[in-house]
Amino acid sequence: MKPDDPRVRWIDEPELGPLGRVYVPLATEGLATTLRHLFGRKKTVQSPEERYVSPAPLIYRGVHRLNRDSQGRVKCVACFLCATACPAHCIDIVAAESPWPDRDKYPESFTIDELRCIYCGMCEEACPVDAIELTSLYDLSGKSREEMIFDKEKLLAVYDMTKDAEPMRTAGVPEPRRKEDGP
Amino acid sequence: MFLLETLIKTALVIAGLMTAAAYLVLLERWMAAWIQDRLGPNRVGIPLTRIRLFGLGQPLADGVKFFFKEEFTPSHVDKLLYFLGPAVMFTAAVAIFAVVPFGSVLPSEFGLEGMSRPIELVVAPGVDVAVLYVFAAGSIAVYGALLSGWASNNKYSMYGGLRGAAQLISYELPLGLGLVGVVLASGSLRLDVIIAQQAQSGAWNVALQPLGFLVFFVAGFAESGRLPFDLPETEQELVGGYHTEYSGVKLLLILVSEFLHMIVASFLIVILFFGGWHLWGVTGSGQEVTWPIALARVVVLLGKVLLTILFFMLARWSWPRFRFDQLMALAWKVILPLGMVNLVVLVVWVEYGAKMAAALGISNIAAMAAFGWGVFAASAAVVVWLVPGEPDNRPRRGPAWQLGPTDEEETPQ
Amino acid sequence: MIGSIEVVSIATVAGAIALGLLVPSPRHGARARALGVVAGAASLGLFGSQLPGWGGWLAGGVVSVVSVVTLVAAVGTISSRNPIHAALWFGLVLLGTAGLFLVAGAQFLAVATVSVYAGAILVTFLFVLMLAQPEGRAPYDRASTEPLVASAAGAVMVGILSVALGSALSGPAVEAMAARGAAARAEAIDGGSPLVHFGRELFGRHLIAVEVAGVLLFVALVGAVAIAAHVRERGGNLEVADREPQMNTDEHR
Repeated sequence: MKPDDPRVRWIDEPELGPLGRVYVPLATEGLATTLRHLFGRKKTVQSPEERYVSPAPLIYRGVHRLNRDSQGRVKCVACFLCATACPAHCIDIVAAESPWPDRDKYPESFTIDELRCIYCGMCEEACPVDAIELTSLYDLSGKSREEMIFDKEKLLAVYDMTKDAEPMRTAGVPEPRRKEDGP
Repeated sequence: MFLLETLIKTALVIAGLMTAAAYLVLLERWMAAWIQDRLGPNRVGIPLTRIRLFGLGQPLADGVKFFFKEEFTPSHVDKLLYFLGPAVMFTAAVAIFAVVPFGSVLPSEFGLEGMSRPIELVVAPGVDVAVLYVFAAGSIAVYGALLSGWASNNKYSMYGGLRGAAQLISYELPLGLGLVGVVLASGSLRLDVIIAQQAQSGAWNVALQPLGFLVFFVAGFAESGRLPFDLPETEQELVGGYHTEYSGVKLLLILVSEFLHMIVASFLIVILFFGGWHLWGVTGSGQEVTWPIALARVVVLLGKVLLTILFFMLARWSWPRFRFDQLMALAWKVILPLGMVNLVVLVVWVEYGAKMAAALGISNIAAMAAFGWGVFAASAAVVVWLVPGEPDNRPRRGPAWQLGPTDEEETPQ
Repeated sequence: MIGSIEVVSIATVAGAIALGLLVPSPRHGARARALGVVAGAASLGLFGSQLPGWGGWLAGGVVSVVSVVTLVAAVGTISSRNPIHAALWFGLVLLGTAGLFLVAGAQFLAVATVSVYAGAILVTFLFVLMLAQPEGRAPYDRASTEPLVASAAGAVMVGILSVALGSALSGPAVEAMAARGAAARAEAIDGGSPLVHFGRELFGRHLIAVEVAGVLLFVALVGAVAIAAHVRERGGNLEVADREPQMNTDEHR
């Protein structure tokens, strides 16, 4: 929209009135706002005792998990799209011949360095089979650097832990057609 | 005996001030949190136990932290002045309290051998120039900001120091003008006489000299360097202003002296304009006191001071900071002329007021209050008339300000 | 009461040597300055040994300490190479002077000295020094123009004044002064008001002097404004007009 667009309405700001020039109503307004908040309801969550519950867990970007399909196998097909998309280079995948007939490859190992990760969610965006997802777990901590490098088992364990509270985004959607069903 | 009495009072005042400063830091953090819908510090209680006491142990933890922090001295500073800055600042801030009364007098039956009069609750009683002394010590405090800013050898600190000095010097004039009104009305430079005079008449100076109060109040805010006048240490512009390069105990000294300045400003506002220890029907007004009245006076005075400090803290989150040119324009173009008007008006009143009131047949106090508020209204009108218009850029809702279809987007969920 | 002319003369000579060695000069190294400090201390001690007692031990002690601090600060003011340090030493001189006023019972004078000189004027000096010359490299800060003549003249004046005042204020007179100071302090503590006497004197007997001084200051103020306006009118810049050619001798060596 250009400045001379006829739909643009130009409005001059009004000047302060006589009371405004002695700052009285403005100062009172400011004081009234702070006083209202001073006695208002507090929003703090007392963290260790109370847990913060995300109002929208699906869009929260916390610890990763590797999803399982309906037969309990890892959904990942080791396509490397997430590792390629990752701006922090924190995903390391070793692909291998798949033992199952419905896919060519599966991840022999799948490692995410949770300390390098910047929790941007690009892996989740890139994944073609919805195998990697970010959960709403926000209080990740560990006692060593090694402990914070999550391997496949750990990531699958995160799925097992969170699948009830946060169902897979594609839950209820029929699984995609497999190769052998193809044309 | 006099020496002993003074030593005891000095110890009391310094201990009280340090404790008060520590707990005022906690109060300030609480106020900040509550105003921002948070809970504030509420965890630290008695050390080594799990008792929380609403966070009342926090000042202790803060103090320990300050003392055990690394005391870092940058290599590029002017060593001597770098150490001198906080010391000067703290000394000047504490020295002011030598003449600030924290109560009235103790009952006359309580006294040490050889005392001719009741003990006054002020470290140095009978300083004839108490008000001027406060000014002198306050002007020494400028050196603290100036020296630490310059010695830090850092442009942000330097700006902070220069800003601090310019601001303090500029606002010292209106501060003095606001105060001269009170001095003229009471006829003394002694703080205890000023309080006694208000207690005698029962009318606080704020009701009699609203213009003087306004001038003094604004200048007092600026002198204590609190928001909206905290230009010397604006975090967003100057990192930390003149104390950017300080750490550990030296930083503690600077921060405590800033709190002491706020306490002094509150004491002066209460003593000069809100009747000091006087409260109608509670504290009496004479010089002869009994124990309950002596204690009541201390409590009333300190309570009023606490309320003023609460207002300081509330104002911090209510009003945005001035720009430096606005600050200077306010000092020299608005507050200083108003102070001069106040002074001239009071001189006229002192000379002719009583006669006029007698001629009109009304009481002196009522006439003075009417006169004062009339002058206040007139000056407000003149300010409105002379001050250039500013655009009203407050956020607003209303048909003229909404551009049709975007209405829904702007309303918060 | 000054005891002996001889001691005062020695003290004066020692003071002159001290000042001559202490004032900033490119020829004086650290050893010369150390020698100056020693000579100055000797001079101070000699002068001090000749001083009469002042009041009780408390007042006397305060007077001695404050006087020594003031004098040392005064020497620091003229011997400091860094203009900002010099200004701060001068601040200490003012505080010391105020302390001496206070001991003599002149509360108003003490407080006014601090708040006017130290609080306003000196801060303005510091302000200008910090803004204009953060390094203090100007040649006129690093060498005094007439070190020998100036220090000799200063010391001789101090000596003569000491002798003259010493003989005028013999024992009883000093005692009377100390007593007056003590009385003024005691009166203040008991609720009297020396300030009222001071005001009466100032605006009674000395009214004309006060008014003349006021008019003089006002004229000076108007003059300053007129000069500033004049410079601006010609399109000039005050700062440029006042700046002297910089000769940075240090960096050419």
